[in-house]
Amino acid sequence: MDYPKLVELVPAEKLGPLSDQLLNFILTTKNEGKMPTKLANAMLSKMQQGSIKSTIGVAVLLEAALTVEPEKTMAAFGEMQLAQLAEAVKGGM
Amino acid sequence: MAPLKFGIEFVPKEPYWKLAAYAIQAENSGFDNLWITDHYGNRNVYVTLAAAAIYTNKITFGTGVTNPWMVNPVITAQAIATLNELAPGRVVLGMGAGDKTTLEAVGIDMGKPLAAVREAIDMFRKLTAGEKVAFQGEVFKAAGAKFNFKTANRILVYVGAQGPKMLEMAGKIGDGVLINASHPSDIQFAVQMANEGIKQAGKSPADVDITAYTSFSVNQDPAKAVKAATPVVAFIVAGSPAPVLEKHKIDVAKADELRGALKVGDFPKALAAVTPEMLEAFSICGTPDTCIEKIAALQKIGISQFVVGSPIGTNVKNSIDLIGSKIIPHFK
Repeated sequence: MDYPKLVELVPAEKLGPLSDQLLNFILTTKNEGKMPTKLANAMLSKMQQGSIKSTIGVAVLLEAALTVEPEKTMAAFGEMQLAQLAEAVKGGM
Repeated sequence: MAPLKFGIEFVPKEPYWKLAAYAIQAENSGFDNLWITDHYGNRNVYVTLAAAAIYTNKITFGTGVTNPWMVNPVITAQAIATLNELAPGRVVLGMGAGDKTTLEAVGIDMGKPLAAVREAIDMFRKLTAGEKVAFQGEVFKAAGAKFNFKTANRILVYVGAQGPKMLEMAGKIGDGVLINASHPSDIQFAVQMANEGIKQAGKSPADVDITAYTSFSVNQDPAKAVKAATPVVAFIVAGSPAPVLEKHKIDVAKADELRGALKVGDFPKALAAVTPEMLEAFSICGTPDTCIEKIAALQKIGISQFVVGSPIGTNVKNSIDLIGSKIIPHFK
């Protein structure tokens, strides 16, 4: 999936709340073994650089959250009224 | 009164990337120190600290705490000195006597804990100062060990202590003292003992970072804070001797009941046996306002650093946010 393209479907004002929610799913997941090291390191770099709430940061979180907690992540799209994003993910954009 | 420093403890039972993420969040939330516990059952403390070193920019970090037995102090010094190259000036050594049960599980007899800690720290300081270590101690001996690399700066040493003799020695030889307690009366006693050692060494209390290393749980809902603290307190009670329990007016029979339940793995029964007195004695938990009040009381006693130890809260990320937004600003 093209995660940076997917993030373009998120309104700017929802980037921060979505980033918080995705990070929460990632940090509380029990599916740690599913997290690729390269992706984990990319997430840490974005956090360190202070860009985890930017489009590029949310793209990394989106990939990580869909990897370790796909169901919770899809449900969160519904709760946050991100229908376009949900459809695009389902369609494998 | 100098501004209180805040530290946070993480247990590497989770993968490096989760702890590194929490470390970044803690740094951004105003924490000054990061402490990673050292237990063979969890992930390696130095590898975890290396990840924290790479992904943080200013927080000071170290072992919280290691012991002189599990690995030779020369290797401990080597690991800390190498970490100091990853994050110059941001690394400290935290060393205590270790836990008897844990050490026995790997066949280590914890003899002469005071001498072991003192000698290990002496070796650490000499090695990181570029000196050759040659001595015959009560516990360790060396016949000319020396590093082939230089340590750029002096690395501070914190001594983990609970008993009176170790506390006194910690004040005497440590750059910091890590007091493993949460209750004001325990902290008061520990500070007094550490100050004895500080006085003996001809130092001023301001020269030593007196640190309360607490079991901590915060939540806007006090019941949730208590729920998170209860399992940790249950294990502390189970490991506490009768005089310690009696000092805090804890029913020893109730503690025995709790210990028995833990022994057979009956966790619901063990958790149900945790009383408000136990929580009060062995943790700091509650709403941010309650925690502020309790931390302020410890600051008045003379601590210079407050460590938020396990469990931190029901959700670590949210708890760090809460501490960073509600508690730390009160003391800065």
